[in-house]
Amino acid sequence: MSSRRRVPIFFSFFAVLTLLVAACASPGTSPALPGTVSPSAEAVTTYPATLTDDAGREVTLEAEPQRIVSLAPSNTEIACALDACDQLVGVPEYRKGYLPDVLAAIEDLPVVVSFGPVDREAIVAAEPDLILAAGNELTASTDIEALANLGYPVLVLYPESLDEVSADIELIGDALNAQAEAADVTGEMADTVAAVQATVAGLDRPRTFYEVSIFEGTIYTAGEDSFLASLVETAGGEPITGDLRTTAIALEDLVTADPEVIVLGDAAYDRTISADSVAKRPGWDEMTAVTEGRVIPLPEDILITRPGPRVVDGLEALARAIHPEAFD
Amino acid sequence: MRAAIASAEAQPLRIGLTLTRTVVVLGAAGVLLALLLVVAVAVGSAEVGIGDTAAILGRRLLALPIPETWAPTAEKIIFDIRLPRVLTAMLVGGGLAMAGTVFQVLLRNPLADPYVIGTAAGASFGAALGIVAPLVLPVLAIGAGTSWLGLGVVQLFAFAGGLGTVLLVYAVARSAGRVQVITLLLTGYAISSVLAAMVAMLMFISGNALRAIFGWLMGSLANAGWMALAFAAPLMIVAFILLLARWRRLNLLMLGDAQAASLGVDVEREKLVLTVLATLATSAAVAISGTIGFIGLVVPHLLRLVIGPDHRLLLPASLLVGAALLVVADLGARLLPGGGIPVGVVTALIGAPFFLWLLRRSQLLRVELSA
Repeated sequence: MSSRRRVPIFFSFFAVLTLLVAACASPGTSPALPGTVSPSAEAVTTYPATLTDDAGREVTLEAEPQRIVSLAPSNTEIACALDACDQLVGVPEYRKGYLPDVLAAIEDLPVVVSFGPVDREAIVAAEPDLILAAGNELTASTDIEALANLGYPVLVLYPESLDEVSADIELIGDALNAQAEAADVTGEMADTVAAVQATVAGLDRPRTFYEVSIFEGTIYTAGEDSFLASLVETAGGEPITGDLRTTAIALEDLVTADPEVIVLGDAAYDRTISADSVAKRPGWDEMTAVTEGRVIPLPEDILITRPGPRVVDGLEALARAIHPEAFD
Repeated sequence: MRAAIASAEAQPLRIGLTLTRTVVVLGAAGVLLALLLVVAVAVGSAEVGIGDTAAILGRRLLALPIPETWAPTAEKIIFDIRLPRVLTAMLVGGGLAMAGTVFQVLLRNPLADPYVIGTAAGASFGAALGIVAPLVLPVLAIGAGTSWLGLGVVQLFAFAGGLGTVLLVYAVARSAGRVQVITLLLTGYAISSVLAAMVAMLMFISGNALRAIFGWLMGSLANAGWMALAFAAPLMIVAFILLLARWRRLNLLMLGDAQAASLGVDVEREKLVLTVLATLATSAAVAISGTIGFIGLVVPHLLRLVIGPDHRLLLPASLLVGAALLVVADLGARLLPGGGIPVGVVTALIGAPFFLWLLRRSQLLRVELSA
């Protein structure tokens, strides 16, 4: 058994080195290693293929994956967008916000993660040859490590901008030998983004407050320099941001910032949150957005917080909420 | 414990317990634990038959020449996921129960558990720091997605935090070469409060890692693996052996410091040694499982009610019963709907009512309380 153990130790050592190097050299984008996968759309992946994921880990695929476990809805959507829905053998329990065809395709698949840690037994039982995890503790790093130690290739995806969402779709395209499909998907996404940008170009940029959640009086919004803040900007708003780390904003700071538009992302999950309920909150009634009636619930939050191919649909909905006049 | 001490003085300790009875009782408990191991390993979210399970265990653990008729995934599930988890449950449950037994004597307090003088707060702070620090300072991202020697920075920080905090508490509480129980408890409380505040602060800035910290605080065996076990088991087993060897001195300490000293125990030194050993076991347990409550508090009481206060039997019995109890609780955590409820929730949810029932039934405790 000691020889079995030496492999992960050895692997971990290099992973640490990679991570340290990645930490110094600004991680994020995930180009495949040159020579393994060529960049053109007609490219094919030659296996074994070594890919670098968003955590800076090098992952080697021995052959074209046939059995994929997805640990996040965004990964499920990406796999399905690349015509690999039928290769999925395990998915998260969460079933909201999928398109009907995706929902139908994954309906009877084994659930491998609900809201707690992943079900490692269920994953082993699914016999995957590729696991698509999410970064920033959405998939616990302990689970990622354990699955890697069990010998499975685990790609960790954590895009932090629209470009990185596309890069991740291309990364999965490389992994699945589906470069052409990936190029189609990212091309369509780029078209949607360009259309939104063209529509809002030259318009006033209202101060926009995106409410992620409000819990026990603490208001959470887009953090400074966050993906969400950049989406608000692309959608033609001037984001009012919260703390870089906690993404919280104090009510007095919000009142001082005086939002002209309030977007209620949390209304997607909580029916009690609406323009009316916001107007009744103490201290909120004087904000320009409230007095001018520009408090907009956004059911598409579910798309915005899901960094897959449909994140651009969320962007479009957000732009519509900020600039309704420009879209009709 | 004062009441228990009083009753212990009133009715002499049943030291007359024969060695044979000890061996028989512990032997039976050991066999039951081994059976429980097989059952616990056979049950889980993926289906592997009990026959296959026993065969896989026989082949891998006892090197029996059994032909491989099962799927390779079955072996992976049994040997790489469930077996380390069940063994971790045994080790942690046994360690917490034994450390609890020791702390209840040391602190003369029926509410004492292995965490009371700072282990839990220190380990929690260490773990939270290990989870959050890499997010703030990417250079520390040793635990993010990989780890060193299969052992995350989180476990190492938790272990160091638990052990370090107790040593700090002990040093602060010590004056003129002596440590008063009440000073120790209050010092532990004060330092724990500071650490708890720091944990709360780390949780507030942790973003998505909040779930990881929260899960850790509730106690979970979901991260059990061979690596973590290889780290904790040697430390704990050494602590177990050294503690078991001190059963006679624990019996004497129950009579009170002055009595124990007059019977030849170097009381201050003995207290320090016992504190360090029990904390070593607790910190190693907490490092690989988070703060699992209840076991360390209740198993010692339960056993004192059933088998009496003689540590020759009490210490090994707490080890075995604590081990069995946590295995059963973890079985509940794995099988209840919800996809892996933290085992700390189960121990309290099911264990506490059971303990209450035992309290109500027990004549012995009424004697203990009225004394």
